[in-house]
Amino acid sequence: MICENCKERPASVIITQESVVGSVERHLCDKCAFHTQTFHFDPNQEPLSIQQFLSHWFSGADPFQAQQQARGESQPGLECPSCGLTFQKFLDIGKFGCATCYDTFREKLPHVLRKLHNGHSIHGGKVPVSFNEMYAVKKKIEEIRVKMKVAIEAEHFEEAAALRDEANTLKQHLAQGGGTSDVD
Amino acid sequence: MSIEKFMRNAVTGWMTAHDEHSDIVMSTRIRLARNLTGYHFPIAFTEEDAMAVDKAVAGVLLDADDSKYTYTKVADLPELERQVLVEKHLISPHLANPDRQGAVILSEDETISVMVNEEDHIRIQCIYPGLQLEDAYNQANEVDDHLEKELPYAFDEDFGYLTSCPSNTGTGMRASVMMHLPALTMTKQIDRIIPAISRLGMVVRGSYGEGSEAPGNVYQVSNQTTLGKTEQEILVDLGNITSRLIAHERNSRELLLAKSRVALENRLFRSLGTISYARLLPSGEAARCLSDVRLGIDIGIIEDIDMSILNELMIFMQPGFLQQYADVELSQEERDIFRAKLFRERLHAERTSASAEKSSEE
Repeated sequence: MICENCKERPASVIITQESVVGSVERHLCDKCAFHTQTFHFDPNQEPLSIQQFLSHWFSGADPFQAQQQARGESQPGLECPSCGLTFQKFLDIGKFGCATCYDTFREKLPHVLRKLHNGHSIHGGKVPVSFNEMYAVKKKIEEIRVKMKVAIEAEHFEEAAALRDEANTLKQHLAQGGGTSDVD
Repeated sequence: MSIEKFMRNAVTGWMTAHDEHSDIVMSTRIRLARNLTGYHFPIAFTEEDAMAVDKAVAGVLLDADDSKYTYTKVADLPELERQVLVEKHLISPHLANPDRQGAVILSEDETISVMVNEEDHIRIQCIYPGLQLEDAYNQANEVDDHLEKELPYAFDEDFGYLTSCPSNTGTGMRASVMMHLPALTMTKQIDRIIPAISRLGMVVRGSYGEGSEAPGNVYQVSNQTTLGKTEQEILVDLGNITSRLIAHERNSRELLLAKSRVALENRLFRSLGTISYARLLPSGEAARCLSDVRLGIDIGIIEDIDMSILNELMIFMQPGFLQQYADVELSQEERDIFRAKLFRERLHAERTSASAEKSSEE
């Protein structure tokens, strides 16, 4: 079946939309489902894909909802500032819209990831070289800051100023997406 | 075009396995999912994002003077060629949709295929013949390192490589082994094995991935989880499961031979009869019979057919290949007729030449 909205891509998601004339079933592709405002999934839809899996697992007795209500927080919760995905919508479609979603939903994700990955939620594999380098620069800046604080407390202002300059150079480097030639 | 010539043009590296397990393990595939920072994932991105990602990835792989890659925009291909790429497992059915801003970058021998703007910005895929988990991973890893040097990857200290689907988060790696398991299927042991394997963080499914059946008793065994383990640990675990499955399959074959040889011979020769003489050969029946004949050759019941002919038929029986060889679009019934004709000619030719060789030796 073809997506009812774009009429181009194959429909992969069935959505039940509530409207003034009652509930309407819509067949959409992933992309149109992502950009649709509000919807609920048809619980009878087969086969069970990742979106149904997440949607069913976390709907109803939603532990996040319970937590939020216990803390007196209001719905609907977080929204990704970059792509606009809400956490509920993430559960509905089972996909993230961008890398920033991971930051936005950071606190809630371990719970979801553990269900999908046999209890694991922390990466243990390959790390990109560039990331390792950036990480090393960040670490170095933190070390310099500690030394700077000690120098200021000891009133060694010249040394503190030199350390500040060194930290600023590294920060600039980092902003340029930078290398590590000056990192120990 | 003669089938020999067509085959030379059409057969890709992974289709010709020749190692000690090549009777059971047909191919090994490693897939790495990667995304770039600064662009939404394909599910949410704009056409401009799509083009920028495409340009960036193609730029890195094609720019070198000695680049071994060719670039193809999926939408530029006729439908039949897209289908053949799917049948060769070089692109996913998802990427084959011409409305996506998708592209595929292929190495000369087609062992490396980089899909651009599939579910993730980048999907690096390496397919090797037979059981070669380590080699296929090393190759994929090399491409990954090359891309990573030039492009900013979306990566997080806790969650690893950030992917569109949370089921790929972490290593972004899916390692799969394609296996022919007819005896485990015949004895219905596979029904008990599949749930057992899923408890180990691995998954068994049909050869075209999620939701697909196992035509011709070909199963794909792959890692389900991508978080918490290193790539090496995942490969070792998958390798162990594959070895177990090979041993189980061999045991079942021996048991079948020992306990019900006549019934087994009857079934395998009937299948040989079907593919040698049928006038209508639907793909399901062709796949089932080929699986039987393949088993017959592996266990020494059927002797006068070369396995390479079977490998070839397994590939050419698929709708895309069949129509490309016929050089014309065919309806389903026409395909069934054409498939039967192709099988008859190929097997008859093979058996005639095999018996001619035999008689000339005598």
